[in-house]
Amino acid sequence: MFAYIIRRIVQSVFVLLIVMLVTFTLPYFQDHSILGPAYATLGTKATPANVKIWGIQHGMNHPYVIRFITYVGQVFFHFNLGHSYKQNMSVVQIISLYVPRTIWLAFTSLMLTAIIAIPLGIAQASKRNTRFDYTGTGVAFILYGVPAFLLCQLALDFFSFHFPHLPSSPPSGVAPWAIFTNPIGFILPVACLTLLSLAFLSRFMRGAVLEVLVQDYMRTAKAKGCSNRRTLMRHAFRNALGPIVVILGLSIPGLLGGALIIEEVFNYGGLGIQTVAAAQNLDIPVILGITLLISILTLAGNLIADILLGVVNPRIRVEGTGR
Amino acid sequence: MTLTSDPISVTNVANSPTPVWRQRLRIFTHNKLAVISVVYLVIITAACYLIPHIDPGNQTNQALTFNTKWNAAPSLHHWLGTDSSGFDELGRIWYGGEYSMTLGFLAGFITIVVGTVYGMISGFFGGIVDTVMMRIIDAMLSIPFYFLLITMITIFGRSTMFLIIIIGVTGWFGNARIIRGDALLIRKLEYSQAATSMGASKWHIIRQHVFPNSISNIVTVATFSVADAILALSALGFLGLGIRAPQTDWGTMLQYGATQLQNGYWWEVYPLGAIFILVVVAINYIGDALRDAFEVRLLER
Repeated sequence: MFAYIIRRIVQSVFVLLIVMLVTFTLPYFQDHSILGPAYATLGTKATPANVKIWGIQHGMNHPYVIRFITYVGQVFFHFNLGHSYKQNMSVVQIISLYVPRTIWLAFTSLMLTAIIAIPLGIAQASKRNTRFDYTGTGVAFILYGVPAFLLCQLALDFFSFHFPHLPSSPPSGVAPWAIFTNPIGFILPVACLTLLSLAFLSRFMRGAVLEVLVQDYMRTAKAKGCSNRRTLMRHAFRNALGPIVVILGLSIPGLLGGALIIEEVFNYGGLGIQTVAAAQNLDIPVILGITLLISILTLAGNLIADILLGVVNPRIRVEGTGR
Repeated sequence: MTLTSDPISVTNVANSPTPVWRQRLRIFTHNKLAVISVVYLVIITAACYLIPHIDPGNQTNQALTFNTKWNAAPSLHHWLGTDSSGFDELGRIWYGGEYSMTLGFLAGFITIVVGTVYGMISGFFGGIVDTVMMRIIDAMLSIPFYFLLITMITIFGRSTMFLIIIIGVTGWFGNARIIRGDALLIRKLEYSQAATSMGASKWHIIRQHVFPNSISNIVTVATFSVADAILALSALGFLGLGIRAPQTDWGTMLQYGATQLQNGYWWEVYPLGAIFILVVVAINYIGDALRDAFEVRLLER
């Protein structure tokens, strides 16, 4: 088990290097080569001399390979993600300022999604092909088909404009706990993000339980006189838990991607708004930093999911390579 | 979804077995919702591709809309009213739909072609090649889809051509993983092993055994890819990165419509919203039904 974890961590570092390579190389393809951001920062009328000076200030006169190695060294050994072109802050400062708000949003709704979707999926699977199941499937499909921004804007229109009970945007202080000064404003964004991730997880849970229900040991459990409820909870749920653990780990990038749209609609100052602004201003260090952070979170999620899977299911531990 | 009350399993054994494709068709048509989905999708697609050419009207020239009432409520002349630029909303829906559908289908096609080739190679060769190729997929999947999409579009620009390529290029990673699982499985099956022992080359086995046997999964995944591509394009429309005005796509229209909602101009968002959601739902239902139809366990042996 220990060797397995070590191997997975080494592989994760390798994966992280690929992420850095890709995100670092992409800006080289834009107009004006790598000096494009100079025009975004200094204005379109910047003289070539100014642009050149700006480039030297930001270390762009060095060749690609040297720059990449320096960047990797900076990140791994000094935990330095660089300095924003547009804002007078380092990327680490920007991230530490905005990440708590995104985390509140994403993880509250991840918890809510799990709490709602898992029982829903089990109920749908145990009552499959009934009216209840069809309704659940229909709702899940519709939720899956709604563009995220449309759902948010409809919710905003209904609950904030026509029935003016809920505030349209959460409190916007910069402090990490500012959100709790008026938690009611938090309801709409969290509800929307939960609804959006609900569809996928409940469908997945239904499928996972259905897969288990046809196994032989389920028939055995029934034959030895287990109650329906007991077979479902003791046997079906436990065996369907493996895939769920994996999918929760894998859902982090999707969740943060959805958070991006929701932050835009509700004007919820978090990483998502920062990303969109950085992309529009070609503020490349910020984009690289945020992408790297989310990749690390995702890889950590996958790693924890794999380890938990090894705990839940001993067969994987023995085989070693999980996949 | 129709696994239990299935008339297919009650076939007369004495009859000669029906051809496989006909059994599959029967399983598919047995799913009423899937049939309705196909009909709906065909109607909407036909409308999007035909109406803008049969009855073009004025969809792009804002200089000609000065004597039309803007944001006008539905009337006999404009069945769904007019939008905030004075264009006929219904005509604009079909006009934008042509872009959304085309981009969705082409981008979905790219994701499935790239994903299949990559997944086949990775799954078939296995070993170190597989490990490296799958870690690359891990890396790309750990970058949030929207981040990659937005970054690439701000870098490469957003002509229609680039939108198709970028949505396609950023969307194939998941597909590759699914197809790779298939290839890995089939490579280990007896008939592939038998072919290897008879001296078949690797490419021969991929062409003759692995590809034909995973075609069902490829078709199913392709269906979902198209739905995902249409959704991705709509999200770009929301961020103001969709098709450039005066051309339009459904995401951009929905975004403009939604901002008009608080003025009470419901006709600019609800009809199109319903059409759009049902298109995505229909594609997903078709994908679901296709998966059932390709399920070998439901076929008579």
